[in-house]
Amino acid sequence: MIPAELKESLQKHIASIDHPRELVVDVMFAVQDYYGYLNDEAVEEVAELLDMSPVEVEQLATFYTFIYREPVGKYVIHVCDSLVCWMEGHESLLDRLIGKLGINLGETTPDGMFSLLPVCCIGYCDRAPAIMINKKVYGPLTIDTLDDILEKLRAEA
Amino acid sequence: MMHYPQVLFQNRKPDRIATLEEYRQSGGYQALADVIRNYTSKKVQEVLVDAILLGRGGAAFPAGRKLMTVADEAPYPRYIVCNADEMEPGTFKDRVMIHADPHMIIEGMVIDAYGAKAEKGIIFIRPEYESAARILEREIEIARKEGFLGKNILGSDFNFDIAVHRSAGRYICGEVTAQLNALMGKRANPQQPPPYPTEKGLWNLPTVLQNVETLANIPHIIKNGAEWYKSLALTESGAGTKLFSVSGKVNNPGCFELPMGIKLSEIIEIHAGGMTEGSEYKACLPGGASTRFLPREFYDIELDFDTLRDVGHRLGTGAIMVFDQKTCLVAATLNLVEFFARESCGWCTPCREGLPYIRDLLRRLERGQGEEEYIPMLQQMSKHLWSAYCAFAPGAVSPVESLVTYFEDEIREHISQKQCPFK
Amino acid sequence: MPKLVIDEREIEVPEGTKVIEAAEQLGIMIPRFCYHPALGSVGACRVCAVKFLEGPFKGVQMSCMIDAKDDMVVSTTDEEAVEFRKYVIEWLMLHHPHDCPVCDEGGHCLLQDMTVSGGHGVRRYLGLKRTYRDQYLGPLVQHEMNRCIHCYRCTRFYQEFAGYFDLGVMQIANHTYFGRFKDGILESPFTGNLSDICPTGVYTDKPSRFFGRRWDYQRSPSLCINCSLGCHITASARYREVVRQEARYSEAVNGYFICDRGRHGFHYAKSETRPGKALVDGREVTTEEGIRAAREKLAELMSRIESDGVACLGSARSSLENQAMLKQLCQKMGWQDPSYFVDESLAKKVKTAVTRLEPELTVSLRDLEGSDAIIVVGADPINEAPMLALAMRQAQRKGGKIVVLDPRPISLPCDYTHLPVKLDEINLYLGALIKAAVDPEAITDAEKDVARFYREAPMLEIFVDSLQKKASSLAQELRASQRVVIVCGTQVVRETTVVLAGDCVSLLRAAKKQAGLFYLLPQANAFGASLLTNKEFSFLNTLEGMENGSIKGLILVENDPFYSFHHRQRLDLAIEKLDLLIVLDYLESPAVRKAHVFLPTSTLYETGGIYINQEGRAQAATKTYLGGISIAQISGGNHPPRIYGSEIPGGEARAAFQFLDQIGDGGSDEDETASRQNPLRWLSANLPALAKIPPFGELTEAGMLINSSDEGTGQFSLDWKEEKDKGDMTGDLLEVILTDLTFGTEELSSFSPPLRKLERKPCLFMQVNDAAKMGLSSEDRVRIKLDEGDVEVDVRLEENMAPGVVILPRHRLLEWQKVKRLPKFVRFEEIEKVSD
Ligand SMILES: Cc1cc2nc3c(=O)[nH]c(=O)nc-3n(C[C@H](O)[C@H](O)[C@H](O)COP(=O)(O)O)c2cc1C
Ligand code: SF4
Ligand code: FES
Repeated sequence: MIPAELKESLQKHIASIDHPRELVVDVMFAVQDYYGYLNDEAVEEVAELLDMSPVEVEQLATFYTFIYREPVGKYVIHVCDSLVCWMEGHESLLDRLIGKLGINLGETTPDGMFSLLPVCCIGYCDRAPAIMINKKVYGPLTIDTLDDILEKLRAEA
Repeated sequence: MMHYPQVLFQNRKPDRIATLEEYRQSGGYQALADVIRNYTSKKVQEVLVDAILLGRGGAAFPAGRKLMTVADEAPYPRYIVCNADEMEPGTFKDRVMIHADPHMIIEGMVIDAYGAKAEKGIIFIRPEYESAARILEREIEIARKEGFLGKNILGSDFNFDIAVHRSAGRYICGEVTAQLNALMGKRANPQQPPPYPTEKGLWNLPTVLQNVETLANIPHIIKNGAEWYKSLALTESGAGTKLFSVSGKVNNPGCFELPMGIKLSEIIEIHAGGMTEGSEYKACLPGGASTRFLPREFYDIELDFDTLRDVGHRLGTGAIMVFDQKTCLVAATLNLVEFFARESCGWCTPCREGLPYIRDLLRRLERGQGEEEYIPMLQQMSKHLWSAYCAFAPGAVSPVESLVTYFEDEIREHISQKQCPFK
Repeated sequence: MPKLVIDEREIEVPEGTKVIEAAEQLGIMIPRFCYHPALGSVGACRVCAVKFLEGPFKGVQMSCMIDAKDDMVVSTTDEEAVEFRKYVIEWLMLHHPHDCPVCDEGGHCLLQDMTVSGGHGVRRYLGLKRTYRDQYLGPLVQHEMNRCIHCYRCTRFYQEFAGYFDLGVMQIANHTYFGRFKDGILESPFTGNLSDICPTGVYTDKPSRFFGRRWDYQRSPSLCINCSLGCHITASARYREVVRQEARYSEAVNGYFICDRGRHGFHYAKSETRPGKALVDGREVTTEEGIRAAREKLAELMSRIESDGVACLGSARSSLENQAMLKQLCQKMGWQDPSYFVDESLAKKVKTAVTRLEPELTVSLRDLEGSDAIIVVGADPINEAPMLALAMRQAQRKGGKIVVLDPRPISLPCDYTHLPVKLDEINLYLGALIKAAVDPEAITDAEKDVARFYREAPMLEIFVDSLQKKASSLAQELRASQRVVIVCGTQVVRETTVVLAGDCVSLLRAAKKQAGLFYLLPQANAFGASLLTNKEFSFLNTLEGMENGSIKGLILVENDPFYSFHHRQRLDLAIEKLDLLIVLDYLESPAVRKAHVFLPTSTLYETGGIYINQEGRAQAATKTYLGGISIAQISGGNHPPRIYGSEIPGGEARAAFQFLDQIGDGGSDEDETASRQNPLRWLSANLPALAKIPPFGELTEAGMLINSSDEGTGQFSLDWKEEKDKGDMTGDLLEVILTDLTFGTEELSSFSPPLRKLERKPCLFMQVNDAAKMGLSSEDRVRIKLDEGDVEVDVRLEENMAPGVVILPRHRLLEWQKVKRLPKFVRFEEIEKVSD
């Protein structure tokens, strides 16, 4: 269950707006931030907050890229695989990540540190090849700068 | 290097956004003050029509005409939605615009709202642009404090406020009607008009949806007039400036504000720093992933909406992705179709099933397992994807169609050599 | 009206008609998957593409999305359109599992048809097929997502049309998935429609899985007799048993859909416990012996007693033919007229309803969908007649306003305002609401009695404080409405309420609104039963006669008073005193076991029959199969059974009218068809309302509206001061309202094994404040003292119901028949917590 303060603040926000359903995505994000991903319980809580049925929330939760219905790691690495990054060598970045982290796309390291997910063009084509870690963008990357970033994140954690 | 007037980017800094002060010093919010004092909403609409401000989101619909489709007797409250979804691969101009001068967009939205008698504004922004979303939220608050937003704007009885709506990420959310569904907490499937959003949009109320760049143009048109605006373009058929996002095999990728009608060759060679070492121009996509490959023969074409349309192309969002002679265009097209197949909203059959089919054909071709008959299949299937429900699918097959049109030989090489000739 | 040309043929259609519909009127069936006449157009599947040659649209376009307009020239056979449609089919088949041989949709699959007719026969796609995981959706619907072609019909029906939100569309792109959040039983009572509308085999009828192909079945147009609406159904039988029912389109009644009770309520007809052989004193005999025994025993009895010493009870679930033949028999034998209702008060209410339904007041279920205000009085649509709720939702979706005056915790799949008021208060509140809804100006020239009725009707101020605001805003909205329908139940309401509902409609009409009247009746043919009911003879008279010895013989025809009579003990004792009990039925019951002579009657599947629904629409069900014991039962599943002979095994059952005919005149008429003309002829000769009833088989699909109104009787005679009829009880009382549930209380469907899985455990509904007074909470179990003993049930607390009442379902698993008189009141202390 989400903590009472979070619930109250969401309820307050919801009550303050003419059309509460405009907030579904915001509420999903908020609850996801708490759990790390949107688990079944979270879907039901979002539904209750917004007076929707669980499947009505699920209809949206499973639609969007940035709502995770399965557990993800502390750092979610989104590797852009669209055209410009592809042209600028995203595949070698990806290979490097797969090699270093020992996981495939769609997976999470056993220590729960990193998840690797593909993402379509993140709008930083001028900095291709680019990746995004927890919504922060890195690019243009080389294998070396990529390694540095991973090391830094490991050290920070 | 040729320097052109910077309008939208006049306050752009390399390292930070322009503050409200800087924006005001450059003449910001004067247009709004003028509009509030001296304009009727009709007049706002007329000026925009006269200036031939065409939508910068890709469809190039005249912004003023869109405002005019809000009927006088239409109900209230009315909405202005600023489309900052920008998920078209290759496109990043809206991001740069927001990071350069957010108040220009805010002022544009308020004037637009005045023109539509709207009182609610929403900026719909993709989740990858979290920093931009925060900037907008912060600057909106500042504008509100200064009386440019909120109740009784600049002491008038005009009220308008803006909220930032974060999306959770899907390309289709950029399409107008899908975006409105997304905003209402529904699945972001498009909805074919009628009714048009300006008649029944958000919560069945009139809604005007415009792109970030389109809105940023509005204050300048008001301030300097339609004639001035048209004169910014290098061609007769163009008007204003355009934000070009240039990427790919160029030395200096980035977003540039250049006059409409500028030559493609000039952008590549001068503004984007020329082709990278050892590469030669083969083709580009001139306006994002959903436009058609422009091969060498169009290298000197003047870039404005009409000129491209007349030769069977689209300027789209003006996101130019440049390919060189070493880049396999079958593989590039496959990459695009991978994107489109993944992002299809799943509503209609041609797009939901036809794109994965095309993807399968391209994958086989790229792997050297292609057959002659795939070429007419690609052609026919692409043609039929134009009968999909929304503009997503026609956009998705634009690269495919143009690949077959201009680079059939390259496809044939894949078939005859039973492998990708670029590998 | 636009005029257009489709395939070189001209047609004129009403404004707003889609091109696909216009083509259909020409007999051109343009392919479609997502389009459905009830669900409308959404343009998702793209298979209805045609080429627009001239007019406002050009090129290949979806015929379901474009309104027919003048000067359009359309081709459905244009090469480009045909090729496009072929591609659409190819796309849809990319991932289809081609499991037609084991798919229950095979043989009536729209996808199969389109694949064949669209000319897609050769697979070109070499990629892998996508697969999905299926979900458990409950006992009625089987899920097979791999077959899905993503037409979105299921969720559009489920959420938009029916108003339930536990089935939806998830995921995106070509992973789009239709199902529930988690495995589990679908919540809506309309789920079977999923299998009807799914154009392929994603949702199939679970209980009948793997039983046969559509072409194997004996199929016939039939009717649902699980409530009084009379929805149209297609029944399918195979190997001597009914196996499936589907919705059958009806313009006036159910449209395209039916409820799950109706779809799966047929199992009584093939129940293992169904008594199939004649019995004399409990001993199995041949049918002829049974008939002879009945005749001889009757003759013997009648030689000893007066002719009014034999009484007959017919039923409201019998066909009109059976009902009429019983009355005919009584007249021939010189007995008193039969009664048809066990509950005397119910009989009166139905009579009132039937006599109030003047033709101009009557609204069909479909008409109801077009109303802009519906006032529900003492009816619980979902539990009593589910399809009514679906129709109300359609009215509401178009902007109609819905108000419910009922003490029970009503829940509807649409927006509505519930005024939870006691049964004794309904009249006052209804009167006040209607009065406030009428513009005084509008009735200045009304007739005297109308004006007086209006004047004397109570003012809105009678509403208790908590309902004041709601009521006055409702009255405002009602005033603005034009097409108002009053829906009035007959089960739980007071007798005067049924009268008042009619009066209110008359008042609204006097105030120049297009008001309509819609009664709910207790059973499928209550209307017919009521037409034949002679007010002087009620079952209570019969019971008294049995008790005082003046009635010695009783014939029960397809009616089991042990199921429905509220005072079991009294009934037991009275039946004990009879010299002769003859029972004709197709249901197993205590009455069958007690009968001296039992004759097995056929069901509507074996004989067909005419039923008059609650609006007075006489409709016919045709015979589906010949009857007999199912092969599954006779051979324990072994096939083929080794039984030789030309008779149908276990086919002894006959139509009740046939038995009655034979009891009456010596059995000259063994032929069902000939025997049937008898009661129908008698009806047209003796009942003016049915003078025009055609011979069986000549009733059209639309049926025939029967006008049985008795104009003016008792109109506007209501005395507003309803006396609370609490017998000799005083003080703080709770009224015990015996009520229906969607599943578990209705007699016929309660035999259905799949529906039994959906029954809710019987419980006692209480208003939260009442429960608080008694210290009860939602987890508690209580013992409620009825007159002849206690009933133990769990408590369910509800906010949204009237205080001062408790609701007890007439559940088949609950021995509720311990009530001496109705209405029944209990004291607070007569409900006590059972400590565990
Ligand atoms: C699939 C699809 C995606 C789109 N994405 C965007 C987008 O991200 N941003 C945008 O401004 N317009 C996008 N558009 C165009 C919009 O539908 C719409 O035309 C535009 O936002 C209107 O604003 P404008 O008139 O100012 O260009 C997209 C269109 C389609 C069909
Ligand atoms: S073309 Fe069809 S499936 Fe594709 S995005 Fe548009 S509506 Fe969705
Ligand atoms: S029937 Fe027209 S698009 Fe499906």
